Amino acid sequence: MRLGRDGIAGLIGLAVSLLLLPHALGLPKLPIVPVGPGFYPTIVLVFMALTSGLLLLQDIRAQRQPAAAPVADATPAVPRAYGLVAAAFAAVAIYIALLPLIGFRIATVLFVTAFQVILELPRTLRAWLQMAAIAVGTSAVTYVVFNNYLLVLLPRGVWTGW
Amino acid sequence: MLELLANAIVAILHWKYMVPLMAGTFAGVIGGSLPGVTITMTVIVILPFTYGLDPLAGLAAMTGVYVGGSTGGLITCCLLGIPGSPASIATTFDGFPMARNGEPGRAIWLGVWASVWGGLLGALCLVFLTGPLAAIALEFGPWEYFSLFVLAMAMVAGLTEASLVKGLMSTAIGLFVTVVGTDPIASVPRFTFGSEFIGGGFPFLPVLIGIFAFAQIMTDIERMRDPNRAGLSVGRVQFERFSHLKVNWEIIRQPFLLAWATIVGLIIGILPAIGGSASSVMAYDQAKKFSKTPDKFGKGHPEGIIASEASNNANVSGSLMTIMAFGIPGDAVTAVMLGAMTIHGIQSGPLFISQNPSLSYGIYAAYILAHPLMLLICIAFMPLMLRVTSVRLSVLAPIVLVLCVIGAYALNNTMQSVYVLLMFGVFGYVLVKAGFPLAPLILGLILGDQIELNLIRSIMTDSNLWLFVTRPISGGLLAAAALSIALAIWQHLRHQKRLTGEEDADF
Repeated sequence: MRLGRDGIAGLIGLAVSLLLLPHALGLPKLPIVPVGPGFYPTIVLVFMALTSGLLLLQDIRAQRQPAAAPVADATPAVPRAYGLVAAAFAAVAIYIALLPLIGFRIATVLFVTAFQVILELPRTLRAWLQMAAIAVGTSAVTYVVFNNYLLVLLPRGVWTGW
Repeated sequence: MLELLANAIVAILHWKYMVPLMAGTFAGVIGGSLPGVTITMTVIVILPFTYGLDPLAGLAAMTGVYVGGSTGGLITCCLLGIPGSPASIATTFDGFPMARNGEPGRAIWLGVWASVWGGLLGALCLVFLTGPLAAIALEFGPWEYFSLFVLAMAMVAGLTEASLVKGLMSTAIGLFVTVVGTDPIASVPRFTFGSEFIGGGFPFLPVLIGIFAFAQIMTDIERMRDPNRAGLSVGRVQFERFSHLKVNWEIIRQPFLLAWATIVGLIIGILPAIGGSASSVMAYDQAKKFSKTPDKFGKGHPEGIIASEASNNANVSGSLMTIMAFGIPGDAVTAVMLGAMTIHGIQSGPLFISQNPSLSYGIYAAYILAHPLMLLICIAFMPLMLRVTSVRLSVLAPIVLVLCVIGAYALNNTMQSVYVLLMFGVFGYVLVKAGFPLAPLILGLILGDQIELNLIRSIMTDSNLWLFVTRPISGGLLAAAALSIALAIWQHLRHQKRLTGEEDADF
C-alpha cells in the first residue's frame, strides 16, 4: 500500500501520539486536585491521534481512487530550490553553534557573508565589497543598538573573548 | 473615558513613546511594502528592540507596525500586482488595473487615504466598544473561557484553506507543545524525559518566531529560481499628477461603502485569528455585491480599493479589541503582542483595561496617532518605499534571521531560546511543506495553557462536566464551535476537489 504526503504525516502524528499516551496516563495523581497532571495531555493526545488517524484514512481513500488524467494546458510547476533551503538551514545552524564560541560580532559577519554567497554569488569586485559592507554593517549596527542602548548582552565568544 | 483618552494622546506625544511609535509605523510601512515580508514578520523583527523599552513604548511600536504594515502592502499591490502583505490581497484586484491604466498615484493614494479613514472609524469602535466587551467577558467563569477558546480554535481550524483535518491536527500539535514542561497546578514534569533543555517547557516567543519567520523565509528562498519573480521592481515608477483632495472626496462621497467595509473589517478582526486577508477579500466581495456598477470591479474601480484598504485597517482595531477584552489574539501579530505583554508581566484579558488604564488608553492613543503618522510617512518617504521594494532576498533574509536570533536570545540572555528557535524553525518549514496551516498551530500554542487552566479550575469548582453544556453562555459557545466545524465540513464537501501539486504556504 502506497501512502501520499498526508498519509505519511498522519502516520507520524498517530505514532507520536500513541507513543506518548502511556506517559500521559502514567503521570501521578494528586490528592488535592480532582484531575491529575495527565488529564489534559491525555485529551490533547487523543485529539491528536484522532485527527492523525483521520488524515491517514483520508489519504488511503484518496490513493485508492484512480488518478485524474493530466490536464494538457496545466501551468508549469515553479522550480523549487531545495538545495538552497538546505544550505540556508545549515548556515543558520552553524551560526547558532558558533555564537557562544566566537561571539556575536564575528559570527554575525561570517553568517551574513556566507548567507549572501549561498543565495547569490557576487560576480564583481563591487558586489563583493557591497556584500562585505552589509555583513559588517549588520553586525556593528545590531551590536551597538542592542548592547549599548537596549541592554541586551549579546553572546561573547569563549574562544575569542570578543 | 474621553478625558483618559485625551491624557493618553498627550502622553504618547512625548518623544519617549512617539519615537518608538514612529519607528514602528515606518518599519510597518516598509515591511508591508516588501513582497514576502508579512506584518507578522515585521513585528517579529521589531520585537527584540522592544524588550528594553517601557511596556507602553514597546506596544506603541508594535501597534505602529500593525497599522503601517496594513497599509504598506498596497504599494506593490498597485504597482506590481503582488500583495506586499496578505492583508492587501484584494487591493490588487483593482489597484493594479488602475495603475496599468496610467493612474498609479491615484491607486496608491486612494488606498492610503481609505486606510486612514477605515482605521480611524475602527478607532471609534476600539475606544467605545472594548470596555463593554471586557465587561461581558468579566461575567465569564472558567467554563465560558474554556468554551470560548474551543470556539476560537474550531473557527480557525475550520477556516483553513488546505484541509479541515489538517487544521485540527495543526491545532492539536500547538496544544501539545504547551503541555511539555511542568504542569501549571502542581509543577509535575510532563514529557521532559529528564531533559533539562525542555524541563521548563518551550518558551512561546522563540517557538512563534521560529515557526513563522523560518517557514516564510525558507519558502521564499525555495522560490528564488522562479523566473516570474525575477526582475520585479517598482523603483522607477512615475506618478501622474493627482490631487489629495480629490482622492479624499472620492472616498467620503461613498459613506455607506466606507462604513460597511469598516464594519466588515472590524468584525473579522474581533473573530479570533482570521486575519487581514480575509477581511480585505470579504469587504471587497461585499462592496461588489452592493455596488451600482459591479461590472467595473477588477478593471481599476476605486470602490474595490476603498473597500479592501478601509477594511484591513479596521481589522487591526478589531484584533486589538479581542486581545484587550478577552486576552485572545485576533491574529499572529496580536499573538506576538500578547507574548511581549507577558514578558513585561502584563496579563491581558477582561481586567486589563480596569487594572492598566494608562496602558490600555495608551494603546488606543497609539493606534489613533499611528494613522496620521503613517500618512505623513507615506507622503514623505514614498520614493524611498518604491526603492525598498527592490531589495534582494539575499540581503534581506540574513538580516531578518540575525534579528530573529537576537529576538530569541534577548528573552533571557541564554542560548537555550535560540536552540528552540532553530528547532521550531525546521519544524515549521516541514509543516508548511506537508501542507499544514500554521494559524491553528499558533492559536493552539497561545491558548493551550489557558485552556488547561480553565478546564482544571472548572472541574475543581464543580466536577459536573455537564456544566460546560448547561451554562447558557458556555453551551452557546460550544454549540457555535460545533456549528463552525459542521459548516467547514459542509463547505469542504461542497468544494471537494483533488488538490494536485504543492499548495502555497498558509501563513
